[in-house]
Amino acid sequence: MLRPVKMSRVVVAGSKDVISPVVEKLHELRLLHIVSYNGNQPEFELGKPIGKAKEYSEDLIKLRSATRYLDIKNKAPDKTYPESQVLSEMDNLLNNVGAEVTATFERITAIEAEVKSKQDQIKALTPLSVLPLPLDAYYGYDSLATFVGTAATPVDADVARVSPVNEIYTGTAKNATLVAIFVPADKAGEVSAVLSEHGFSETSVPKLEGNVDSAIATLEGSIKSLDGEMAPLKKKLADMKKQYEDLMLATDEYLSMQTRKTEAPLRFAETANAFVIDGYVPSDQFSRLKNELESAAGGRLEVQLIADKEADDLVEKGEDVPTQMDNPSLARPYELVTRLFAIPEYKEFDPSLLIFVFFPIMFGMILGDVGYGVMTFLVLVLLKKRFRTEGWQQLINIVMIGSVWSIIFGVFYGEIFGPLGLWGRVMGQLPEAELEHLKSVGLYFGEGVYGSLGRLGPLGIFPMDRLASNAVLLLIGTSIFIGVIHCSVGSILGILTELNYGEKKHAYFERLPVMLFQVFFAIALLGLVMGQMIMVYLGAVVIVVSIVMMVMGPEGAMGLAHVPSYVSNLISYLRILAIGLASVGLAYAANQLAFYVIMPMLSGGAKDSAEFTIPAIIVGVLVLLVVHFINFLLGILSPFMHPLRLHYVEMFTKFYSAHGGGVEYSPFGHVRRFLKA
Amino acid sequence: MAIVADAGVLYGLLAVGAGLATGLAGIGAGVGEQGIGAAVVGVVAEEPGFLGKGLFLMLLPETLIIFGLAVSLILMFAWTPFSGIVTP
Repeated sequence: MLRPVKMSRVVVAGSKDVISPVVEKLHELRLLHIVSYNGNQPEFELGKPIGKAKEYSEDLIKLRSATRYLDIKNKAPDKTYPESQVLSEMDNLLNNVGAEVTATFERITAIEAEVKSKQDQIKALTPLSVLPLPLDAYYGYDSLATFVGTAATPVDADVARVSPVNEIYTGTAKNATLVAIFVPADKAGEVSAVLSEHGFSETSVPKLEGNVDSAIATLEGSIKSLDGEMAPLKKKLADMKKQYEDLMLATDEYLSMQTRKTEAPLRFAETANAFVIDGYVPSDQFSRLKNELESAAGGRLEVQLIADKEADDLVEKGEDVPTQMDNPSLARPYELVTRLFAIPEYKEFDPSLLIFVFFPIMFGMILGDVGYGVMTFLVLVLLKKRFRTEGWQQLINIVMIGSVWSIIFGVFYGEIFGPLGLWGRVMGQLPEAELEHLKSVGLYFGEGVYGSLGRLGPLGIFPMDRLASNAVLLLIGTSIFIGVIHCSVGSILGILTELNYGEKKHAYFERLPVMLFQVFFAIALLGLVMGQMIMVYLGAVVIVVSIVMMVMGPEGAMGLAHVPSYVSNLISYLRILAIGLASVGLAYAANQLAFYVIMPMLSGGAKDSAEFTIPAIIVGVLVLLVVHFINFLLGILSPFMHPLRLHYVEMFTKFYSAHGGGVEYSPFGHVRRFLKA
Repeated sequence: MAIVADAGVLYGLLAVGAGLATGLAGIGAGVGEQGIGAAVVGVVAEEPGFLGKGLFLMLLPETLIIFGLAVSLILMFAWTPFSGIVTP
């Protein structure tokens, strides 16, 4: 929660004789985050790969070329294989299957190239059919020069002028004039010059025989037979892909695993007879790591915990303590949001839990519609089955929790596909006299949205209509209020982070005044609105104090330059209201357009919904579908991106970016996907 | 010459002001986003993984519209000097 898992710095040292079982055990345990040896100490040298590293990489290259030809991409496993099966089938897979795949793929490529060249020939031949010459008349002359192509203007007279001996054939194709000109070879240069004046562009004539039409027919026939040959080959590839996909991915996994194991010693420090591994392990796992490793090495190895003070020295020298985020499973998807920004440093806070609290509420407040919320939820349920990679699953879970909140807020706002759309019609309205009374006491939160159960909430204002002016004012206040809490939480984390790093001055004179400023700015505003001048004075005094503190802080008077941004930080939270209003507005417009404009108009001015004609209802519903669909798409994107921004820009900057990104805990080992353990 | 404060005219002017505030802020944000958008499309073409960060960067100038909108909302709903006149 909020803090990464506690890590301990360990050193593993052992005899080189046991390096293989130790690597094997480390890989299996998946506990030790190895710190690569940098080769700086003269008494140690870099380790060398063990075992059959080269063979494994060669096999991997062979396998990957076959997977590429089969167009196999990484995916969620449908089947898993025991290692023994992978091993027994590997030889066949790499050599026989691999060779067959390569041969088939190469044949397909060759056929495709041949088809392409024949298609080009057909393209060149087609215009020639307007000329009365067989194809072998176009080539094979020693003393004649041939020009075949299209010309923009008639060429006969000019060609005859430079070369009295000539033969010219002209034909009109679809949108060009085709000419074939035969002149003595010694006149070729002059004729070519003349032709260029007439916009002549040459066509290359394929060296074929017979007349044009029959040549085209022959080519088309052979294309057809090539296509006929290709279809079963493609099917063969597809069948092979289906048959071997999971096995190939399992083999890939096995080989990658082996390669990683054989190359692991490259990150160790070695002497002639011993090896040393530096690394980090979660503190509560240390004894397990120690016991397992020592029993695997039969006592020829020592695992030692480094004392805190010594470990701090190593960090001081530039070693990064890895961060493993530690959150309850419901909040874990939100680690994606954190990760997208930066991995927190070991001493920093992991904000995922806070994102889990604030993000879905903001999402819900913005979208706030039962109809859209349910639709989002259903769409996500479908997507969740379709996209099964971890990243997608996390993203989908993030939005899913948000969509639940948007249903809750939809009930508060009285919106099902927009206000006044279904809610008011289904639930009925308050009597006119009561509405008048509400207006007079300033508690009018829109009409047509009150349920027959009356209204709920401390002021009796839910469900309310977000487009009513009182509701807008209330939401402005709520948004700023959320902003103050959000920023304050960020500031508190900021203060604690600075204290963790031992920077007291930064904590009390840089982070604290920001929080004071923002909180009391909001209190002063609230006092203005409520007419409580005492709150305004109090707020003003604390704001002045906080500004003085900023000036005393590490940045000095320059710190004042940030003051406007602290105000704009808070105003920025108005987007929670604003984007929501935009989407309500569009939904409202869609409903108005359909129910009060299109349907009455197409029913010949009918006022009552019972009189609407069927075509009018169909058109109206179509308009509703289209506009609501567009609104729905926008309605998922904006409520996602804007709270994200509120977190990254307004909240994270208060405590996060000061010390740069951390290193994620990635223990040596492998999560098996296609391989059975 | 005496200035006659007509409630309808004042309300109309407030509405025009509110519209200008949001509209002009929107243009400003649009100008800001144009450059970022072009750059993001360029980067995403090279490296599709950047899409998330790119979309996020595109949102940065949208704060400007929010400011404009805040001014509009204050003009329309919360500006007390005129509230006596503008309450319908």
